Amino acid sequence: MDEKIAPHLEELTRALGDLEKTGIRAEFDKLLAFRVSPEVAKETILRRYGGKRKIIKVKDLSVSLKNFEITGRILDIGEKELRPQEGVKEGPSKLYTGVLADETGPVMFSSWKELPGSVGDVINIKNAYTRLWQNRIRLSIGEQSLVSKIYDSSLPQLSELSKTPAKKLIDIGAADYSISTTACVVQLSHREVPVRGKQSKVISGVLADETARLPFTAWIKLPGIDIGSIIRIERAQVHMFRGMPSINLVSSTKVSSVSSEEAENLAFTFESAAKDPAPLKIEEIASRDSMFDVITSGNVISVRPGSGIISRCSECSRVIQKANCRVHGKVEGVRDMRIKAVLDDGTESMSVMFPRELAETIYGKTLEEAEQLMFSDISKDAVYEDLRRFLTGRYLAVRGNSSYGEYGVSFVAESAWVPEDDIAVRVVELLRRLGPDEEDQGSEFSGGGINLA
Amino acid sequence: MLKREVAKRVFAKEFEACRELEKSERPAYETADSKTPNFLISPLGLILNRVFIAGVLTELDSIGIQNDMWKARIADPTGAFTVYAGQFQPDASIFFSTVQVPAFIALTGKARVYEPEPGSVFISIRAEEVNVVGEDIRNRWVLDTAEQTIDRLEAFSDALVSRYRGETLREYLLDRGASEELAEGISIAIEREGAPQEFAKQLRISIREWIRTLNLESEDTAKARADQKEFVLELLREMEGGKGIDYAIFVDTAVSRGVPEETVEEVVLSLLAGGQCYEPKIGIIKLVA
Repeated sequence: MDEKIAPHLEELTRALGDLEKTGIRAEFDKLLAFRVSPEVAKETILRRYGGKRKIIKVKDLSVSLKNFEITGRILDIGEKELRPQEGVKEGPSKLYTGVLADETGPVMFSSWKELPGSVGDVINIKNAYTRLWQNRIRLSIGEQSLVSKIYDSSLPQLSELSKTPAKKLIDIGAADYSISTTACVVQLSHREVPVRGKQSKVISGVLADETARLPFTAWIKLPGIDIGSIIRIERAQVHMFRGMPSINLVSSTKVSSVSSEEAENLAFTFESAAKDPAPLKIEEIASRDSMFDVITSGNVISVRPGSGIISRCSECSRVIQKANCRVHGKVEGVRDMRIKAVLDDGTESMSVMFPRELAETIYGKTLEEAEQLMFSDISKDAVYEDLRRFLTGRYLAVRGNSSYGEYGVSFVAESAWVPEDDIAVRVVELLRRLGPDEEDQGSEFSGGGINLA
Repeated sequence: MLKREVAKRVFAKEFEACRELEKSERPAYETADSKTPNFLISPLGLILNRVFIAGVLTELDSIGIQNDMWKARIADPTGAFTVYAGQFQPDASIFFSTVQVPAFIALTGKARVYEPEPGSVFISIRAEEVNVVGEDIRNRWVLDTAEQTIDRLEAFSDALVSRYRGETLREYLLDRGASEELAEGISIAIEREGAPQEFAKQLRISIREWIRTLNLESEDTAKARADQKEFVLELLREMEGGKGIDYAIFVDTAVSRGVPEETVEEVVLSLLAGGQCYEPKIGIIKLVA
């Protein structure tokens, strides 16, 4: 028997490393115990753990990637005790989380097992997978992953990797963990938020450079900094909120004012940064994971079901059907109005959500007026049908935030209006691009001929 | 991918010249599977499935065995689209059963190919969403579509001049700022049909002719406004009679004769600013003799 399985074990060891330590041997034996032939057992295991495993760099990580190999240096690691869930006796009780980086960037990871290394060490992970956690990609190391420490790695040193890259605002995304940037404060306000039961003062606002705008939150004091200040930020943390990156200024962040001489060399000024953003094509919006405070326009090519008058749970504001909240059970519904529409400009399409205030503006009816329509009509979809008749085909311009997901671009409108159109200017430009008539061209040429003769 | 297909802007002439695009012709399209919709390709390399059009509904017929299918023709500056709506497009069918011909309408739908025998191909649209719109939306759609068509025409002639083919051409076009899809479409279209010179020329001519009429219209409206201003000034002379006139009365009279209130205000303000009239008392305007 052993002779029969020995070559297979040898092959598995070559492909996957130490079988005993990783529990693969036990799995192999289990399959044999079910009288699976060694040949098939080997293939099963290779398919599961190895086979054509891809080696991936951090920058190429995407959501729901499985069974790949990655090597990186640990920049940060910590452990969390997990409260045992009721009814679940066994299972891991500790979660290790941190940041891993290679020369292409850093990524947050979480591991269900203890890693053979600490800050500064390079580890290799086989059979890793990714998940979306708190709106960003997280590298997951599970029970099935094989982790080993690499001693002679050519990866850049810790000091090199933990340098925060200087980025323009448009380049900051879900893959970033810590960044440096220079930008102008275009909005700023102070507010109090409860943090672990205590009221804390935070400053929130909007930063802008020549490429984009992003929201920021400061957990530290910002003396001398106000709207109009151009600041240099070093080692700020990037958080994801509803698919949107937000810059967090924390105790380890260094914030300094940019002198007016230095500011002259920048590609933006307060005036240019504070101006309304230039309109984009939907195609440009779709090419980014998320965009903050942008303007675009297109035709409403479809008003989606779920638009019109809806009921929300009075406890949690979830949309409810037949006065039944899926969390709070039977509740008194609170009426609300919203519009979900597909906006398309021929380059891309996106799904736009108009909350009540905007829905009332673009529809030209208040919630109360819409309710009257609903009660006066026998069809329960009266408002939806009316919205479709009113909006389908129309031009709309919107300003708000976009995020890219499984179904394409979702856009939450902050404001909306009917875009103005200068037909005369466009016509002149189009006629220029179309060139002169063929006939005109012909006569020009023959005229030239006569002159020459 | 469950992502929604973009609704392309295309004129009827280019739409009708579309042909089916085999999935095997799209090497770059890795994700092609049975769920991938069927695409068409135009002679200029536009790859499309869904379209959004705005035009004039000129014909409407109820066809099919139980009159359960609508066939509509929607005219644009270059020709007309054939649109069908049947029992599986209930919203569009209800719309067509109530709409009056002619009307400006906006419509979203998916392209369909029907080839009863080799060589005779019918391209039509199966309606998804349709609505009556104003003339302004139709005009604007023509401008949008003209802009996107000219972008395509320019990229296409650029491709011909370059003399590149296949992969090299694709990269050349991407480099010149074309979208991934257009670069791919143009290189496939050139492989298939070569240079549709006559088609491109005819398309340009129809677009140009139609847009010119729009230009004239906007000149007309500019002229009409100038006439209105002249009229307001005449009316003011007549009513004021050298003694001044109550502004509110003057506005009411002008409006009752069909001049918009804004135009009246605009003329009076410009006269005041130019010193041609003044207010001897608040609310009274008087021309300078």
